Order: sequence, then structure tokens, then C-alpha cells
Amino acid sequence: MRRALAALSWVAGAVALAVLPTTVGPYYTNVFVTFAIFSVFSVSLNLLLGYTGLFSFGHAMFFGAGGYGTALALKHVSGLALLPAVGAGVLASLVLALVLAPIVVRVSGTAFAMLHLAFSQVLYVLALKLRAITGGEDGIGNFPIPPLNIPGVASLPMKDSPQNFYYFAIVLLALSLWLMWFFTKTPFGQVQLAIRENAKRTDYLGFKVPQSKAVIYLVSAAFAGVSGSLYGLFHNLVSADGAFGALVSFAPIINIMIGGIGSFMGPILGTALFLVIEEVTSRFTERVELVIGLIFVFVIMFAPLGVLGTAKMLKQRWLAGRTARDAVQRAA
Amino acid sequence: MNILETRGLFHDFSGLQVLSDVNLQIRDGERHALIGPNGAGKTTLFNVVTGTYAPSRGQVFFKGRDVTGWAPNELSRIGMGRSFQITSTFGRLSAFQNIRLAILSKRGIRFSLFRSVDKMREITRETEAVLDRINLTAERDRAASALSYGKHRALEISLALATDPELVMLDEFAAGMSRDETHYAVDLVRRLTEGKTVVLIEHDMDVVFSLADRITVLHRGEILATGTPTEIRHNQAVKDAYLGDLEV
Repeated sequence: MRRALAALSWVAGAVALAVLPTTVGPYYTNVFVTFAIFSVFSVSLNLLLGYTGLFSFGHAMFFGAGGYGTALALKHVSGLALLPAVGAGVLASLVLALVLAPIVVRVSGTAFAMLHLAFSQVLYVLALKLRAITGGEDGIGNFPIPPLNIPGVASLPMKDSPQNFYYFAIVLLALSLWLMWFFTKTPFGQVQLAIRENAKRTDYLGFKVPQSKAVIYLVSAAFAGVSGSLYGLFHNLVSADGAFGALVSFAPIINIMIGGIGSFMGPILGTALFLVIEEVTSRFTERVELVIGLIFVFVIMFAPLGVLGTAKMLKQRWLAGRTARDAVQRAA
Repeated sequence: MNILETRGLFHDFSGLQVLSDVNLQIRDGERHALIGPNGAGKTTLFNVVTGTYAPSRGQVFFKGRDVTGWAPNELSRIGMGRSFQITSTFGRLSAFQNIRLAILSKRGIRFSLFRSVDKMREITRETEAVLDRINLTAERDRAASALSYGKHRALEISLALATDPELVMLDEFAAGMSRDETHYAVDLVRRLTEGKTVVLIEHDMDVVFSLADRITVLHRGEILATGTPTEIRHNQAVKDAYLGDLEV
């Protein structure tokens, strides 16, 4: 029964995703693509933040590396196909993570957070200054976007077809989310939690902590790369501010904290709430960041577990209260 | 046969000599207690042997191998387990998850990325068997930090033992326990360490004399005496330095 219900909701979800672009129109379809991209980005950060206890103030660098990697590959390699272009972005993020991993896996806490802020700012400045490669402040725009070739079936044009791009992006992002979800369910996912809870104990149980952190770091960077790559393709533009800016690093942190750090779904819910708040407030004021910031402060002060965490806590309290009431009634 | 041996072990913390010329010998299969006043260097000796830090000078041999300076995870993999003076578990993980980590490590499943851990029935079964042996089945899904003190300690001890080490080092496993909890813990340690070598740091002399086959007394970073409980009880130097006129 439960299984059938779960299967049914999966089918319903898939159908809803499939008919979305034809029902809500291009504007909201694009809002949804943005939501999906930032969900993957936020969840990838949460692998570090929520699951492993590693706080990064510079996750944008992997997002940005993904975007620039894809854009540069498409600009310079003629005839490059779509998936290899995304692959180039992911590869750029992975290479960056591989370079940084030996340094950052040996620190944690504030040092980890600040090192990432520093590195991401270095990349931000490089993106601005290396004009010949990155286009400086203009970024890289209008690079060719190849069609998606499914050999023997079809060649789906991506440029000027938001609908095709929507399907392409959603499939890739959903696959990313599923892979990350599965990642948390593996034995290695348990090691992540162990490192978060007690790194010393983890070492004494026979797990290599720095090496394990490095693997998590690479996985997190790769999926941030996927989201950054798709973001670049989506806008057909990558720029220093949009890719490496400090706000790009803070957005997923806010999403995670609003939605709930303690669960897989929290950051996804947080991303949705963030976009809704942004959408609504932008109709009344240009100071969207101010409103988001105030809400963020409010969440940190009064609901540090985020929306999902607080809901879970209230439910447990309610259940505990009910059990207590039942016991009292039985006793009486 | 000595399973563990230190040769001329020295350790100092920026000039402060904490261990000097320690030659500890632990026989295969014995339960060996390390006693001595506060600051004698017992925990430091544990830390040097289990890899928290490398000694300033000297060597550590485990199963005949020179393991000086090895990392804790490397020592764990060749059969050395350890518990801590201050309870060290995975606080927000359930009792079940805590033990399961030890079982995964014991089976060498450390970087597995392609299986769902909840579906590994063998692992689940083995974990539940361990929980059953320490009477934690009812608390299976409770967070480690939410367990009662005694149960939390029991969880930590079995965390050290669940990887099935040949040598287990217990640092004051009964510290802070009530009388009843101590009795239970002593019984637990006796039960769980059958056939294993145990080195324990302990202040409670009842625990020491009821568990230990041999005792080493550490005083100001040096070994004062090693011997059977009876020998130690009647050793004049030990009486002067530590046990005093205690009727033990």
C-alpha cells in the first residue's frame, strides 16, 4: 500500500514536471529551471555543511568553475556536443577541487569557511582581470549552444527553445539530486555523518578522515559544477558576479538555513521559499536582499533548525504530548 | 609473547617531561591495569601508543611490528581499539548508527559508494547482535547523546570493541559511574573482552583488583613497578608513592 502510494506520487511528480512548460508558460518555466539549478547547488553545499559539518563561504567557486568551464569549452571547441560541454564544466570544478583538497581537508570550522571565502574571491578577481580569457566584466556571452543529439532518435535544438532546454536541464538536475540522495544513503554517507559528529572517534574506528573528506569534497564540487554549467547554458552567459560573486556563495547557505540543515529536502524547500520571497518582494521593492536578509536573521534567531527542522520538532512534541495525554487518560 | 611493548619511550610537551624511559610490556591475552596518581602520564602513554601523537623518543611495538608514529586509523585496522576518558561517541547519531560504523570498519567497508547501507542485511544483523549483547536494543534508535550516562559509556566501550580488536585500550571506562553502573560495566568488559588483551587505566581499586591479571604503576612519567595484584599490593615503593596506607 505504502509502496504503491510512493510509486504513484513519483509518477504524479514526473507527469507534473512533464506538462509544466505547456501549462504555466515560459516565464514560470524559467523560474522553475532557476529553482532546479539552485536546488542542486544548495544540496551540493549541504553535503559539506549539513552532512559533514564543513562550512564553506565560497562554494560559488565550483558553481563558477562549472559555468566558465562549459562556456569556454563551447566558445573555443567548435562542434562540441552538449553533454561533453557540461562535462567540461564539471571537469573544471573537479580539477579546482582536486587542487584545493590537499589544503582544505586538513582544516575545519572557521579556517575552512574563511579559506573558501578567500579562494573564491581570488577566482572572482581572476575572472575580472584575465580579460583575454574570461572577458572581464562582460563575461562570456553568446557562446554557441549545441543541440542535444540522441543518436538515431533526434537532435533537439537548445538555442531559442526554452521548452527543450527545460526538459534537458530538469532530467540532468533530477538525476543529480537522486545521485546525491543515494550518496547520503551509502556506507560512505554514514562516514560523512561520523566525521561531522566526531572526527577523532572516526579516525580511531579505522576511517581515514582527510581522505574521506576529500572524496566528499570532490562529489560536492562536481554537483556544484553541474548546476553552474547549466546556469551558464540557461542564460547563455557567464560573468564574474553571476558565477564567483560572494552573493552566489551566500545564496545556498541561506537556502539551507531557511529550509533546514538537518535533512536532504531542507535545502530544496529553502530554495523554493527563497525564490518565492524574491518573486513577491520584487513586486513591491528593489531592496530584495534586505528583505531576504531580515528573514534570514529571523530564521537564525527563532528557528535555527529551518522550516523542515522546526516542523519535525513540533510534530515530535505533538506526538510526545499525545502519548502523555493518552497515558494520563488510561491512568484515569 | 608480548602483544604490546614500548621501548625507552619518552614524551614531553614543550619541555614538560611527561613520560620518561617507559618500557611497558603487555602479554598476549592478559588484562593489564595502568594505575598511578593524577598527572602520572597514564593518558599520555595511551595517546602515544594509540597514535594520537608520536613519542618524542622511543618505540612502540604492536604484535612484533614497529608501529611508532602510526595514525589511529592504521592501528585500528591492524587490531587496536580504544575508548576515551571523556565519553566519545557520535552524539546525534543513533545507538544503532554508532555501532554500525564500527561494524562497517571491521568489514573494511569504508569507501563504498554503490550500495545502500540500510539494505546491507548482514551489517544490520551484526549491529543488532552487538546492541543486544549490551542491552541497548530498546534504545536502538535513540541518539547516543540522549542515552543515560551508564548506557552511553556502555555504547562507547562497545564502539571500541565492535571492530573486534585483539588489543583494546580502555581509558577509565568506569569513571563517573554509580556503584551499580560500575558493577554492570565491569561485568560487561569481562564479557566482551573474552579472549582479547585489555589495557585499562583505572582509579577505582575495586575495579582494578577485580579485573586485572597484572598491574603497572606509573609515577611521574616512570614505571614504578609491574606485577600481579598481590605483588603490587605489597610493594613498598608503590605504597609510598600512591596507594599509601589504603587498605586494599
